[in-house]
Amino acid sequence: MKLLKCAAVLLMACLCRAQDLKEFEKHVTEFTLDNGLHFIVLQRSEAPVVSFHTYVNAGAVDDPQGKTGLAHMFEHMAFKGTAEIGSKSWAEERQSMAQVERVYDQLDAERARGELENKERITALQADLKGAVEKAATYVDTNLYPRIIEENGGEGLNANTGEDSTQFFYSLPSNRAELWFLLESARFKAPVYREFYKERDVVRQERRMRTENEPQGQLIEALGATAIEAQPYRRPAIGWPSDIENLRVSDAEKFFATYYVPANITIAIVGDIDPATAHTLAEKYFGPIPKGPLPAGPTTQDPPRDGVKTVEVESAAQPIEFISYNRPSQYDKDDPVFDVISSVLSGGRTGLLYKSLVRDQRVALAAGADSSYPGSKYPNLFILYVAPTMGKTLPENEKALTAVLDTLKNQKVDEQTLARVKTKVRADLIRQLDNNSGLASLLSTYQANYGDWRKLFTSIDEINHVTADDVQRVARTYFVDKYKTVAYLKAPAGAAPAGAAPAGAAQ
Amino acid sequence: MKKLAAAALACAVVLSAQTPAWKALQYKPLRPLTFPNVDEFTLPNGMRVMMLESHTLPLIRGTAVVRTGNLFDPPEEVGLASVTGSALRSGGIPGKTGDQIDEELENIAASIESGIGESTGTVSFSCLKENKDQVLDLFKQIMTTPEFRQDKVDLIKQQMMSEITRRNDDAGEIAQREFTDILYGRDNSYGWSEEIGTVAKIQRSDVQGFYRRYFFPSNILLAVQGDFNRAAMKAQIEKLFADWTAKQPSVPPFPPVRFTYKPGTYLAVKPEATQTNISIGQPGGELKDPDFPALEVMADILGGGFNSRLFRRIRTQLGLAYEVGASWGADYDHPGLFSISASTPSQNTDKVIQTSREEVERMRNELVGEDELEGARETVLNSFVFFFDTPGKTLNRLVTYRYYGYPKDFIFQYQKAVAAVTREDVLRVAKKYLDPAKFIVLAVGNPKEFGEPLDKVGSPVMPVDLNIPIPESMRQGGEPK
Repeated sequence: MKLLKCAAVLLMACLCRAQDLKEFEKHVTEFTLDNGLHFIVLQRSEAPVVSFHTYVNAGAVDDPQGKTGLAHMFEHMAFKGTAEIGSKSWAEERQSMAQVERVYDQLDAERARGELENKERITALQADLKGAVEKAATYVDTNLYPRIIEENGGEGLNANTGEDSTQFFYSLPSNRAELWFLLESARFKAPVYREFYKERDVVRQERRMRTENEPQGQLIEALGATAIEAQPYRRPAIGWPSDIENLRVSDAEKFFATYYVPANITIAIVGDIDPATAHTLAEKYFGPIPKGPLPAGPTTQDPPRDGVKTVEVESAAQPIEFISYNRPSQYDKDDPVFDVISSVLSGGRTGLLYKSLVRDQRVALAAGADSSYPGSKYPNLFILYVAPTMGKTLPENEKALTAVLDTLKNQKVDEQTLARVKTKVRADLIRQLDNNSGLASLLSTYQANYGDWRKLFTSIDEINHVTADDVQRVARTYFVDKYKTVAYLKAPAGAAPAGAAPAGAAQ
Repeated sequence: MKKLAAAALACAVVLSAQTPAWKALQYKPLRPLTFPNVDEFTLPNGMRVMMLESHTLPLIRGTAVVRTGNLFDPPEEVGLASVTGSALRSGGIPGKTGDQIDEELENIAASIESGIGESTGTVSFSCLKENKDQVLDLFKQIMTTPEFRQDKVDLIKQQMMSEITRRNDDAGEIAQREFTDILYGRDNSYGWSEEIGTVAKIQRSDVQGFYRRYFFPSNILLAVQGDFNRAAMKAQIEKLFADWTAKQPSVPPFPPVRFTYKPGTYLAVKPEATQTNISIGQPGGELKDPDFPALEVMADILGGGFNSRLFRRIRTQLGLAYEVGASWGADYDHPGLFSISASTPSQNTDKVIQTSREEVERMRNELVGEDELEGARETVLNSFVFFFDTPGKTLNRLVTYRYYGYPKDFIFQYQKAVAAVTREDVLRVAKKYLDPAKFIVLAVGNPKEFGEPLDKVGSPVMPVDLNIPIPESMRQGGEPK
């Protein structure tokens, strides 16, 4: 650990040639509570504000079979409060919530009889369930948990669930820092699953909004389910509709008990806070959370594959296409090479895809790349996308895009381009450093993913070592048919807009 | 800042034996904010400059704000301002194409960007401090001697037309656009849209003419911030722009808004949709209205956050929507739009509309709860510090106030006014300004799946035409649908 620290300091010094980054590490304090919960505190006192970021090492990949969307559902429940926060009368509310579960158990048991189910009984139980849910709702002090945060000046209050993680974050005026310790520890000590079934409807609507009524959302979901065969990344983080509609409180309880153990959580605090105070408050509020065993991640891997896969999604929207290549995880030695390639292809106004497809050939309204989708802890997808300009087709775009990839395979990328990408990576990091909440997110993410937040800086060093040979080798190894998947929007029969023939037509 | 401290203390009173832990916390007054020192001066050519030295990071950033906007688009060439704003940067300068500038800037991880929006034009730069001379020089040339090369004007036009063909792909975007266009009216620059035909007409000479009319020193406010010495930067800016002496008659005010829309129910059909995007609203106001603070508090209670009435009822209690909210639309120099927006499964369309209306009625007829008012006030007052937590935010705010002619301390007047808002004020402004008879209700979705026909919500239902007109001359081969 000490060696690495030294290396990081040296690196940062040469990174920036200014004292700013060397200073950076001096202001970072780390500690781990006895239960395993790890904190990173970066004191920056320019303004009386402080940002908090909780990174939970559990995401949609951990959703059990048949219960996709569970990690995300739990994220929603983490805003519902605790026994003390959010109830008008906890004793009564608890009983009414138990009654909801009892009725739901009966309903599930009846449904489990399949063809033999008694329709009348189902209808009656559904009515009972509705009544029980409404009864429980009468004890709720609606949205008290987030209300407390808002009324205390909370800024940027939100959370997100991805394939790899669930993250919770907001900022407060720094005189109210203790409120965060109290509220955050309370929800991860003993969450309460109030209004679970109403929130499930909200999540179902969220899926409608983000995926079902969003052509790009539909297409990327189809891409994931096609390009990845077995491994959990093939499932959408928001969940399949029928899975969402059947999630139960007991599922969320199990998920919480398994994955929200302190050792599986990393917290970063950035802003106007004294690290000693932060440590004291962390012990006081988070210390009592019992420790638990670190959960195992999924073990399913994709079988080897051969040949291009294609999927089309019928849509009235204008054409777009995704092309993906299966790639290894972020822990592979070639990970920085993929980052460089993505930047060479789609960084700024000098990216090869922009220059070729958008600027020079004018076949695309937009063309770009993303080095990792939908997560990065496990083998995932390198993604390319195109949206044709008016009158141009997907096959024309795909041809131009393939030509760009062929250049990467056939010629060595020139030194100037490579140098430009490396300079950009360094500058991008500097530009991120003056934002408390962004930094809290980066520090906790790098710590949780690599066991050391300094990877945020050392990864730049790795990128600096990428050569033109590496770029060519990786392009030749991975941008090949056996890893390729094509997903595109296809106009419904009879409504095909001219100039929007599906890409498949050209193959 | 004293107000803040008082509010914090007020929060800590009224404790009882069963006080929950979160209520028992005591907070010290917030450390007072230190406001950065902004230098202001005017160059001999009339350009105004605001400057903020800040050494947190080895970066320098700047923005020139130009008094122009697409509100000045000619009706037959809607899109001219946008093309001009975009081609200013990509069209290059004498001796250097835009593509060459792309390479030059990205080699040093710097950027220069330009654009023209509704009521501002901007040219901005960002660079590491060691590249400041090179980047400032390019920045000045782009702003003062743009070439608007033909190939880039053509490229931008083609891109804009392609975007137009895609504008109905997203129902949320349709709802937002049509709501605005219906209320402001499609016969003026607040409510009309760029069309393929209007963009196709734009010529390079029009772009050059638009540029010349608005880009001259006394029509520009330049704001620079970052890691520099203020005296040295002032000298550099003075020298850099000394030879720019372009003159034009002063730019007139933006056209006034005249609301002539027809209140009622509107429907845009999106047959494949499984949800409906709903927008409900009427004309809003301006930030300088004396009632603005009370209106903000009112809209916050109605639909401002987790704790708002619409969110609690439609999302949390009924589970009918993921996104739902309201805002009192206020703009700096013309009336904005009050809006309630939500998306919900198709079959709940009428329920969400009715519930929203009920909440508006409640707002207009009953005093809000003491706790609701206190919550809304606390939210505004306690989060106030986030307006100023970086020097950049502070400078941007000052630039905006200067641009629209607002007093420097406008935000402090606002803070004071919010602290003084009463329940009676909230009821009074809700009654005075919210008028359901003036509402439009716009639904974008698939009416076949609606739980109740839309005319039960309001009759007659006026159709919204989403057709994208294609000019006669372009109607062969490869046309968009």
